[in-house]
Amino acid sequence: MSVFAYTVMGLLSLIAILPCLHVISKAISSGPEVTAGNIYFWPVGFQLETVKYVLTKTAFPTALKNSLIVTGFGTLISMLTTITTAYPLSKPDFKGRKVITLLYVISMVFFGGMIPAYMVVRSLGILDTYAACILPFAIVQFNMFIVKNYFESLPESIEESARVDGAGDMRILVSIVCPMSKPVIATVSLLYAINYWNNYFHAMMYTKSPDMNTLQVYLYNIISNSQDFVENLASGNFMINITSEGMVAAAVTISLLPMIILYPFVSRFMIQGITIGSVKG
Amino acid sequence: MKKMKKMKQLCSILLVMAMLVMCISACGSKPESGNEEGSSPASENVETAAGEGESAAPAESGGEKADVPPLKGPGNVTLKRLGYNVAWDPTSDLMVDVLKESTGYDVEYFILPAENADEKLVMEVSGGADYDIIQCSPNQFQTLMGQGALVPLNDLLEAYGPNILAGVTEESWRACSDEDGNIYGIPYKYPYAQEIASFMACRWDMMQEAGIDAMPATIDEFYDCLVTLKEYYGDEYIIFSGPYRAPSEGNGTWIFPRVIAAAFGIYNDWMVDENGKVYYMTEAEGFTDMIEFLTKCSNEGLLDPDWAVNTSTTVCEKFAGGKAIIVQMNRNGLGTTVPAMLETLDIGYEDLNYVNALKGSDGTCKYMRTEAINFVTVVLRSSENAADAINWIDLKQQEQLFLNIGVEGTHFNYDENDGSILPINPIFSDERGNSYWYLDSTNEEEFSTQWPARIRKSQAQWEGFEATTLYANEHMPEIFVNNDFAFKPATEKYSKYNTALFSSLNDYILQIMAGTKTLDDLGSFQSDWAAAGGDEVREELQAWYTSFYN
Amino acid sequence: MKALAKSSAAVSGKKGWKYEVRSFFTYVKRHPAMYLMLMPGLFFMIIYKFVPLYGILIAFKDYNIFLGDNPIDAIAKSDWVGFEHFHRLFSSSQFMKVLSNTLIINGLKIVWLFPLPIICAILLNEIRKVTFRKFAQTAIYMPYFFSWVVIFGIFYSLFGSYGTVNTVITALGGSRVGFFTDTRVFRSVLVFTEGWKEVGYNTVIYLAAITGIDMTLYEAARVDGAGKLRQIWHITMPGLLPTIVLMLILKVGHILETGFEQVLVFYNPGVYDVADIIQTYVYRLGMGQMDFPLSTALGLFNSVVAFVLIVGANTVSRKLLGRSIW
Repeated sequence: MSVFAYTVMGLLSLIAILPCLHVISKAISSGPEVTAGNIYFWPVGFQLETVKYVLTKTAFPTALKNSLIVTGFGTLISMLTTITTAYPLSKPDFKGRKVITLLYVISMVFFGGMIPAYMVVRSLGILDTYAACILPFAIVQFNMFIVKNYFESLPESIEESARVDGAGDMRILVSIVCPMSKPVIATVSLLYAINYWNNYFHAMMYTKSPDMNTLQVYLYNIISNSQDFVENLASGNFMINITSEGMVAAAVTISLLPMIILYPFVSRFMIQGITIGSVKG
Repeated sequence: MKKMKKMKQLCSILLVMAMLVMCISACGSKPESGNEEGSSPASENVETAAGEGESAAPAESGGEKADVPPLKGPGNVTLKRLGYNVAWDPTSDLMVDVLKESTGYDVEYFILPAENADEKLVMEVSGGADYDIIQCSPNQFQTLMGQGALVPLNDLLEAYGPNILAGVTEESWRACSDEDGNIYGIPYKYPYAQEIASFMACRWDMMQEAGIDAMPATIDEFYDCLVTLKEYYGDEYIIFSGPYRAPSEGNGTWIFPRVIAAAFGIYNDWMVDENGKVYYMTEAEGFTDMIEFLTKCSNEGLLDPDWAVNTSTTVCEKFAGGKAIIVQMNRNGLGTTVPAMLETLDIGYEDLNYVNALKGSDGTCKYMRTEAINFVTVVLRSSENAADAINWIDLKQQEQLFLNIGVEGTHFNYDENDGSILPINPIFSDERGNSYWYLDSTNEEEFSTQWPARIRKSQAQWEGFEATTLYANEHMPEIFVNNDFAFKPATEKYSKYNTALFSSLNDYILQIMAGTKTLDDLGSFQSDWAAAGGDEVREELQAWYTSFYN
Repeated sequence: MKALAKSSAAVSGKKGWKYEVRSFFTYVKRHPAMYLMLMPGLFFMIIYKFVPLYGILIAFKDYNIFLGDNPIDAIAKSDWVGFEHFHRLFSSSQFMKVLSNTLIINGLKIVWLFPLPIICAILLNEIRKVTFRKFAQTAIYMPYFFSWVVIFGIFYSLFGSYGTVNTVITALGGSRVGFFTDTRVFRSVLVFTEGWKEVGYNTVIYLAAITGIDMTLYEAARVDGAGKLRQIWHITMPGLLPTIVLMLILKVGHILETGFEQVLVFYNPGVYDVADIIQTYVYRLGMGQMDFPLSTALGLFNSVVAFVLIVGANTVSRKLLGRSIW
């Protein structure tokens, strides 16, 4: 079993990581080799000019700052909302559970379209602010259902005893349920963070100032128009290492890093049995 | 019991609905009070939209000079300008300071997104955006003008835009005016009238190795050349790769080389015959011959098997990587690939060659003149700074050479022989490389001599430009034919349908080349095409053409 | 507490709706915090999800965004056209073709890719070497952050007709495979790349669910002499069931809607026959036209289908497995 697990996961990791290596290699390979398509899974003619250029000469720092702010605050707000919504809905005897759950399903499925959504954001006066990139996505129904599922799977007995001791619902949620739910809270925080991080379309629609651009908007601009961008640099023959493909690869690679770094922190909480056991013990 | 439960559910649903209605009505009333951002005279907007702008607009433009708003002047106003999408940040470019110093105006710059630009533009404008100046595509211009979102500029131009009025030619103005002569936009005309914008770049060294000793000049010679290359190189190399189209352009650009189409007498999607009748590419005499030619090449393996998949990026990569021998190209592509090829493939400029024009079986070749309106700068009706916007554009045009090309001796020198502009690198690329985005109006005549400097900054681009465009202009100017619709004002049906129509044609041709459709389907394609707006566009174009040239 | 709720439910069967209402208010009085907790979520849902539903009317109107004071006002001012936009959508000769393509492509994706993250999560859970586990977890999760445009670039340089894979194939004496142009393999390319991008992300969700399974169950099973496979089948799988059901219901529900961006980037006219889905078709139909009503009509159609499917799947799951979302 365990040999099988190692082999399969090793193989899958390889399939997943080779194309990623391809992109990373392009970001740090010599320009002409990149343009000629000679890069496979290892850099040819190592250089860091492109990365340096992306970091210093483009709007990358602003975009990174915006994305970090949106992702950080957004995840916080989302988690608060999600946990407080999921908890009542996870109680089988909660009055109104079915109706409200159904409302969430409906709101997940039906979508009024881009124009009214834009106008709501506009009428609230939050257009072109961080709030516009956060509040409309504060609750993702799917994530809420995951948390709700998890809450339902928790043993009832501990809550019962707390209730007998006279603890209110809020206190039970904060001091008993949440500590027991660290794995799912960590995971869903990650899902929210990814959601905010990857949000391109709405971030693009709800902001207009270039200094409000998030990373995804920045990336799309580079990907769509990189050739124009580097034409200038390549033309004088004085920055031959900076190519349009290299630029895209570098920008993509750097913008990937925060999410990759975040993952090990989250996965620390995703070890089976530890949290529940500790609470019980 | 069940009933009761239903009752309860109903109650809660009703409650939610009530809340909803409240929210909606709150939302509906909000824009009036919370319109500080737009401050658009919305009622005016409605009137013109409803009255087709006919009664309102002329009255305004026919008014006295006193109606022209006064200048607030530099320093007293911050203009907001929205432009098309670029990869770099237009708020932090050096040009921002240069423009501020030159004109005195504070300007905030915004860009449209790379995708869904049209949708975002109309949503912002109809919701009351606070931009003053918008640089839009001809289609976007048509939409905004048709909906009465724009200020007529005649009086403003007369009062504050003498340079603009002088620099833009009459036919360009007509492209931005309505039937009553009200000007709604300032046109930017493509500065080079007879350019071969799309050509083929070849690995001359590989062609010579295969025994080819002269560049093909006719379509038959070109075919023979492909066959010879295929016989010599087999499956090892891609003989002929294309099409060269930007990934973001989707299927809106030509998917077959214009150079080949030119040999079959096809130079545009819409053309006009000698009797003044407007016809579509599929109805052209040479159309079936061209498709048969392409299919033959495709079936014999002379074309890149991934023809339908290719974008400019993949074509460039195949050429630069030495995998393809002949590729469809443009100047920008040369700028990216050639420097890399010189580095990695151990070849020189003498190992590259270009196909600029191929003569058809009747000895003719038709290539369309590149003269056309590329984009239009407009002032929004909601703008309170219309006078200053025009003034700013006028000030910019006064300094056209300085702002776009730079200072003599620093950014460029004049050629001793012909007086053309020779850019000095890298300072030219560094300080004026992105100036094109800040351009609104031009003195068209002067700009046509200044603009080639932008090509000259790159040797790779200039070599291609010389071998194709300059050569053709000198030795075979007869190949250039007029674009009958170059200065057609943006019209409703054309703006609405033409992109989708042309894209469906491209799809059909690629499907023939891929073997999933045949030329026998042409009839059904044409009827689908006509139903999808083709006939309406034809009518519109025919009406315009007849009234314009008679 | 639970007993009380149960008995009240049993009693309410006899006592009628007055009792029902009274027990509702008793519950509210007893648990006011529960309702307060719901407020922020409801607030966001109503403002940002339900209020914009007003825009669905666009599907039934001859919508002109410039009518009226603003785009919302324009909805009220535009004329009704009934089901004309739906007619435009469904009457096309192409519609059945693109509908079946949509179902086939997304069906294939569910069949091949739905079990993968579950298997990955279970296997990762079996791996005790922490460094390898972390490496594998991070590796398969990474692709999720690439946009489809970038993924296309990567896979084209690997699988293009003159790409790396074909170079190997020809070197081994085979003939080139048109991964992007051959109608027989193109759908596989779509399924494979989708899997490449999404499997790691979905694995994360199942991993979280596994952590919720009570460890004592495994210990008990081990004492009973159950092997690894039996433990997985009898403990892990039932523990994952709620998540599996949730994911499957949503996947099936959204069968008409997923995959647009991917197909738009990957396909080409040569493979329209097997790859053209509803959304790409409507995208081309409305290209350059800003056809808001048509896209709203399509969105509404998709929503209704999704809603019916989700309700259906939920009912089936409640009957068969005793699990449901609501």
